[in-house]
Amino acid sequence: MGSLEGLTPGKRIDSDLGRRSQVIKACIVLTAKLFFADPQWIIPSIIAPFIFTLVAFFLFGGQATTGSFLLYLVLGSGLMGMWGTTIYGSSNSISFDRWNGTMESTLAAPIPLSWIALGRVLFNTFEGVINAVFILVIGLVWFQVGFGLVNPGLFFLASVSTFLSLSAFGLLMCTVILLSRKGGFITNSMEIPVYIATGTMFPVTILPIVALPFAFLLAPTWGIEAIRLSALPGYTGLATSYWVDLGILAAETAAYIGLAFALFKRVEAYAKRNGTLEEY
Amino acid sequence: MNRPTADPTLAVEVRGLTREYTTRSFFGTVSRVTKALDGIDFSVKKGELFGLIGPNGAGKTTTVKILTTLLTQTSGEAFILGLDIRKDLYEIRRRIGIVFGGERGLYNRVSALDNLRYFSDLYGVDPAVAKLRIPELLKAVGLADRADERVEKYSRGMKQRLHIAKALVHDPELLFLDEPTIGLDPGGARDIRNMIREMRSQGKTILLTTHYMFEAEELCQRVAVISKGKIVALDTPSELKKGVRDIAVIELRTYGATTEYVDRLKQLPNVVRVVAELDSEVQTIRVQTPLGADLLSQVVSALPPDAKIIDRTIKEPTLEDAYLRLVEE
Repeated sequence: MGSLEGLTPGKRIDSDLGRRSQVIKACIVLTAKLFFADPQWIIPSIIAPFIFTLVAFFLFGGQATTGSFLLYLVLGSGLMGMWGTTIYGSSNSISFDRWNGTMESTLAAPIPLSWIALGRVLFNTFEGVINAVFILVIGLVWFQVGFGLVNPGLFFLASVSTFLSLSAFGLLMCTVILLSRKGGFITNSMEIPVYIATGTMFPVTILPIVALPFAFLLAPTWGIEAIRLSALPGYTGLATSYWVDLGILAAETAAYIGLAFALFKRVEAYAKRNGTLEEY
Repeated sequence: MNRPTADPTLAVEVRGLTREYTTRSFFGTVSRVTKALDGIDFSVKKGELFGLIGPNGAGKTTTVKILTTLLTQTSGEAFILGLDIRKDLYEIRRRIGIVFGGERGLYNRVSALDNLRYFSDLYGVDPAVAKLRIPELLKAVGLADRADERVEKYSRGMKQRLHIAKALVHDPELLFLDEPTIGLDPGGARDIRNMIREMRSQGKTILLTTHYMFEAEELCQRVAVISKGKIVALDTPSELKKGVRDIAVIELRTYGATTEYVDRLKQLPNVVRVVAELDSEVQTIRVQTPLGADLLSQVVSALPPDAKIIDRTIKEPTLEDAYLRLVEE
């Protein structure tokens, strides 16, 4: 055993912005380390996407006569995989601490919980990107889908924007799940309806009219539209333009973030009042 | 704006702190209100090592949670380093460190180094400083050689030493240690107690909650005894012990003592209290009595024929004896 004498004094960063970005970075790094520390990471990131892609190809196999339809399927499968990983990982970003026994340490940090959640959600959405990229690779290599994008620059922009919108949605779900110890049920029940409502596999236009408002309130719906418009030649989809889709996506993402931060404040106050957040 | 306490020499100032837990029925109506804290008052001076002792459910952890801003009080007020716990929570959190007892509070699948880096960033420690301070802390708590190993491979004692390093990573002025030696073997507990002494000698203020009376007696300058949400005594260990100076303690170490024997001892005249640890091969039995050595022959003759006394001593009452009287009154 050593001695506590002569330790370097613990000087802190002065700038508020600096502290917040330091927290986001730390949360991304820790979440990544925890993710890769569990060998089961290959299940959501490699095995599940493989199954998604196979199901999609065999489901639509007979109709897949053109290269662009195959690309439509690959993009849809990729987004399904991305969404599945995001909704599961992101929404549990903080409730993970509940069963890990680290909730008190997390709540005791001198930073609003929303910033800790944001860092973790960003990595969890990135897990979804790993999933989507793997699906694209399967499509390109195994099914030999041509990856001739209409506009690679706009495709990249739409993909990054969709990534951010999924993170924002994950952050919002995080607050809902924090309020309930059985939050996992909410997560699981959200997965399939969102696949359908965002048009990952089927066009949103074939949904019943009552389901459309729900579909339009989901930012990923617009992200998927923008991705397809920038990737698929002759794609019409919802008959909107790329920039309109991107605008709605940005507005809804901003609304999710605003709502998530406001809800986090309430969740923290609720947790302090009831003292039950760390109970599992 | 920060509101200063009346006394700037105080690290902790608690006034009339009350906490109630409300249990609601399925329909949302209040079915039960439990008072965990009932208007407690106490203060801790800067640089002091202050103990909070009491039985399970007495309100120790609730007090720590409120003072560390993890739980809100129902009424009353508290100031930490001159800051109001209701208004200045982030500033308070920056200046305090918390050690929770038990297995909670660490990320087991990553290394000790990763844990400390993470918490250092969470507390806003300058990365250049953290680069120096984290290895120094790991060395100080005897984990430098295994800093890269996953925490799940650590023993209970090593995890607790890591807890101490984690609480110190941002160099706090005030430490809350909530049962830091619970579940540790004697060697591990001794290491933690030595660290607590060292932290105090470095000028840190420490609020320690513990179940172990000898620990409070050995470490704390002042002790508050909390029972059923109220502080029933607050003084130095030696002053608290004066409350039981009318008794002496016969301490026996035996083989083969049974609960029937303990019950027989409790029936003897002039026996105030009997505390027995019968779980191990060698049993320890403490008999509190105003008669002291004069009761010894009766205590020995009550022993079952197949039991054997290893040794017997007449002792001065300890803090534990004072504590038992206070919480049972």
